[in-house]
Amino acid sequence: MTSLDRSTDPRRFPHWEGHMEADYIYTTGIAGERFFATLRDEGRLLAVRCGACKLTYLPPRLFCERCFARLEDWTEAPPAGRVAAVTVAHLDRRGTPLPEPEVWAFVAFPGIHGGLVHRLLVPPAAARAGVRVRPRLRPKAQRTGAITDLEGFEPLPG
Amino acid sequence: MTARRTSWPGTELRADDLVLGRVTSTKFRPDARYAWSAGEAMSRFLEELQRGRLIARTCKGCDRILFPPRMFCELCFRPTDAWTYVLDTGTIETYSISYLDTNAKRISVPILVGVVSLDGASPTMGLMHYFGEMTPEDLRIGMRVKAVWRPPEERRGSVLDLAYFRPLREGEA
Repeated sequence: MTSLDRSTDPRRFPHWEGHMEADYIYTTGIAGERFFATLRDEGRLLAVRCGACKLTYLPPRLFCERCFARLEDWTEAPPAGRVAAVTVAHLDRRGTPLPEPEVWAFVAFPGIHGGLVHRLLVPPAAARAGVRVRPRLRPKAQRTGAITDLEGFEPLPG
Repeated sequence: MTARRTSWPGTELRADDLVLGRVTSTKFRPDARYAWSAGEAMSRFLEELQRGRLIARTCKGCDRILFPPRMFCELCFRPTDAWTYVLDTGTIETYSISYLDTNAKRISVPILVGVVSLDGASPTMGLMHYFGEMTPEDLRIGMRVKAVWRPPEERRGSVLDLAYFRPLREGEA
C-alpha cells in the first residue's frame, strides 16, 4: 500500500470541523466606480478607450493592459452585442440544485475588447451562441450600483 | 529614520464610505468549511492514549521506531511497517519554565513543559508535555521521568489523557 491508497475522507477518523471566517468587501475601484454609478444612476453601460492601442475596454479599466497608459477617454458601450458562449446552470454557486435551470452567457460587443457575463433571458432550450442581444435594466428604484442592476441580456426583437 | 508620512498614494477609503454606500462594492462570505482529521496514525495514537498506552510505528528501512506514530517514513520515503507499544518512561530532552499561561497571561507559579524522549522509541523521539510533582529547580536535561495518567473514566482520546510526567522514583524501571 502506498500513501496514495490511503483514505482521503477526513470523517473516517476522529476529526474537528470548523468554518473559516473569510468575509470580504471588494471595492470596484476608480474605473469600476464610474461604470457602476453610471449604470445605477443613468442606466448606461460605459466603456473606456485607449487611442494609442485602439482598444475599447468593457468592463472599463483605469489603465490600458497593453501600454499601461491611464485611460480617460470614456464612451458608451454599443447598444447591442452577440452571445459568444452560453451555459445552462443546474446548480447554484454553493452546488445546490436550482429549482429551474438558469441560462448564462458571455456577450461580446462590436469593437469592444472584453465583454460581459450575465443571465441570458431565454428558456434553456433557446440558449445558443450567435443570438443578438441587448441589456435589460432593472427599474431605477431597484438599482444598487452592481452588475445585478442589469437583469440580464434579452434577444433583440425581430 | 523614515519620516512620518500622513498620506499615501492611491485612494483612501473610510469605513463610512463602505457602510453608507458612498462607493460601490461587493460583500461576500465564502462557505469555507473544513474537517481536520487526525489521520490514520494519530487516530490510533489517541485511541491508545485513552487505554493508557503509547503506540509507535516501526520502519524496516531505517530500523527506527517512530513515535508519535506515522504511516510514512520521512527518511526512507516508504510506508512504515507495524504497530508497537513504547514505555511510558523516558528522558527529558529539553524543557521550558513558563511564566505565561496558555492564553499568554502572566502567572506567578510557572508551568513546566518540555520534550520527553520515550523508552522503547528511537533516540530523541517522544512528545511534548507538562511536568508535575517537581519544582523548577528540579528540572534538568537528562532527567528520568514517568507518565502520570488520568483515571480511565476521565480520558477523552486526547493527549491530555496523560496528565503529566513526574520524576522516576528510586527502584522504578
